[in-house]
Amino acid sequence: MAKWGMVIDLEKCTGCQACTAACAMENNRLPGEQWQDVVFFTEGEYPSVQAKWFPRPCMHCENPSCVHVCPVRATYKTGDGFVLVDWNRCIGCKYCMIACPYGVRFYTDEKPLVGPDLKTVFKSNDERSWNPPWKMPDARENWKRGVGIQPRGVVSKCTFCYHRVSKAPKGVADLSEHDPETREYTPACVVACPPTARYFGDLDNPDSEVSKMIANKNGVRLLDQLGNKPQVYYLTGSGGAVPSNRAIRKT
Amino acid sequence: MNHFAEPRNFAEVARYLVALWRREGTLQFLRLSSTLGSEKSVAGEMWKYGVVFGLLSFAFISYMLLTEGGAAFNTSSDGINWGLAVSTYVFFALTSSGLTFIASLSMVFGFREYYAVAKRCIWLAIITLGAAFTALALELGHPFRMLWAMPSGLQYLSPMFWMGVFYLIDLVLLLIKFDRLWHDDWDSPLSHFLSIASFVAVILASGMLGLVFGSMVMRPMWYGSFTAVYFILTAALSGTAAIVLATYLAYGFRHENMPEPLRSMASGKALSKVIATLSGIALFSVVTRLWTGLWSNLDGLEGFHALVGSPAFHLEVWAGLALPFVLMVTPSLQRQPRWQITAAALVLPAMFIDRHLFLVTGQAVPMFKGAWATELTAYVPSVTEWAITVLSVAIVFAFYGLGEKLFNLAADPRHKVRESAEEGNLVLKPVPAGRAASPTAPGAAS
Repeated sequence: MAKWGMVIDLEKCTGCQACTAACAMENNRLPGEQWQDVVFFTEGEYPSVQAKWFPRPCMHCENPSCVHVCPVRATYKTGDGFVLVDWNRCIGCKYCMIACPYGVRFYTDEKPLVGPDLKTVFKSNDERSWNPPWKMPDARENWKRGVGIQPRGVVSKCTFCYHRVSKAPKGVADLSEHDPETREYTPACVVACPPTARYFGDLDNPDSEVSKMIANKNGVRLLDQLGNKPQVYYLTGSGGAVPSNRAIRKT
Repeated sequence: MNHFAEPRNFAEVARYLVALWRREGTLQFLRLSSTLGSEKSVAGEMWKYGVVFGLLSFAFISYMLLTEGGAAFNTSSDGINWGLAVSTYVFFALTSSGLTFIASLSMVFGFREYYAVAKRCIWLAIITLGAAFTALALELGHPFRMLWAMPSGLQYLSPMFWMGVFYLIDLVLLLIKFDRLWHDDWDSPLSHFLSIASFVAVILASGMLGLVFGSMVMRPMWYGSFTAVYFILTAALSGTAAIVLATYLAYGFRHENMPEPLRSMASGKALSKVIATLSGIALFSVVTRLWTGLWSNLDGLEGFHALVGSPAFHLEVWAGLALPFVLMVTPSLQRQPRWQITAAALVLPAMFIDRHLFLVTGQAVPMFKGAWATELTAYVPSVTEWAITVLSVAIVFAFYGLGEKLFNLAADPRHKVRESAEEGNLVLKPVPAGRAASPTAPGAAS
């Protein structure tokens, strides 16, 4: 069984946010509720200030603290490496949000992160929390896997586009937008990335492109000291850097 | 306070209420029910205001949740995930645990002077736990789903799962224990077993609530086994403050209104010593935690700097812990009711502040999402969140008033002996040859 993982080359990432837009369209995200975010920040002070950005999906950790803390097993890890949320079980306690070191989880039932509140503009007429005109086909929704438009009172997160990746042919090492055979199974953020800064493949397969890149280009994981062992690796090279844990000025 | 004859079971309560309704008519029955009797009493006032504020706050919360849902809260995925409703839950759950600790002093460890407040502690522990569960249920997205999802999931790795298990066991044991005390069973093997089991359950429950936070290595302000110990110790402190305040409140803050065993206890040092010891330990814990937090360079501890600048934190430390400690260790003050009441009235709000600051500052340092944030996350609870706190307080007041009226909360195992003696029929148990005769244990009095 594959262990799916992602590699993001920070030297190539331009911060264009095509990944964010693609994810939002693919997964019907509310504005601000970005499962795949690119966060912009500054380092240093004038005149040495630098504008930086950092793409951040769910890390689908090997050792996910969000899974361990969930009191009802609503969030779980699959055999092929996805960390998913069962919206039929989630009680909305938000403990997984507390326990996620990467801040990638979102609670549905709260003030809109970005206005106007589209949940009131596109009001739901069923169990879904809202009813956008561009939503994915009903048949593709899978609440046991956290795919689709979530109901009220649950937590949602990036699924690594489970609805696409889980249909990939068995034994394939990489899912690439450049390969017509695998394009439709590749996560939306990877497909949409203009500079091809994202790669997706089987981390357990030594011949996969992602495994080779991690080995040859010293792939690093975010907040590795916490032991969650993310399945998203960053290539920093000479042009990019994984930001420091926290950049709050000490007083 | 004079009690009417304490009913022995709920069927008796129901029969009494039906008889009262038939005798007085519906309007008069409702009027009497709203004040718990024809005479004005502290219990009746607690019940009346508790019900009024409880219903008003519940109506407001229901309206807000039905119209706005979780958006009525100021919690956010980008900032503070757990807000005032969770602080309220933690405060009341730990106060309940502390009350059980105080009850255990007599019922498990044999410190007989604490018998006078044991039954009151158990009743208060039940209703404060009920208030805690209410606050939590209103905060959760799907509270009723928990009823089947937790037992079917059995996520034994989750501290929250175990917290739920132990608090449920705690509640069941408290209810059975209260039932036994209601029937004057203080000394049977079952009663002893329940007391010990309840004590163990409540240690595990409050400790596990501490580990809900203490297990979070990604939240350095919470992380560590110290959190569980801190929760257990401060639970005992808030429980002690609660029982002192509640006992005086039931008698209109008038020492002379109390029945004898309680009056002796109040004029002694029994509870003052506990407040002094625990407030001293809590003060030391808060200050050392602050010290290590300010001293360390570890990322994620910046919330301690915010604590130093927070007026609420200084109020907690100086007025809520240091002052009560001084009051309760001063020999000339610790026996005086007014200073006992003052100390308890300072400690209890301080413990509420402590729970809230602990919860909020632990989340105020942005996680990775805010690695680039240069400020701590701001959080001001919404009116709906405050209404949940008001509802929880109202529940405690209403049911304390009801319990005060319905049950003889001042009962202790010695009252059976006293009552029998007053009736002139105290019977001495036959003493086996070779053993000295002594007044019998309560169970032997007929």
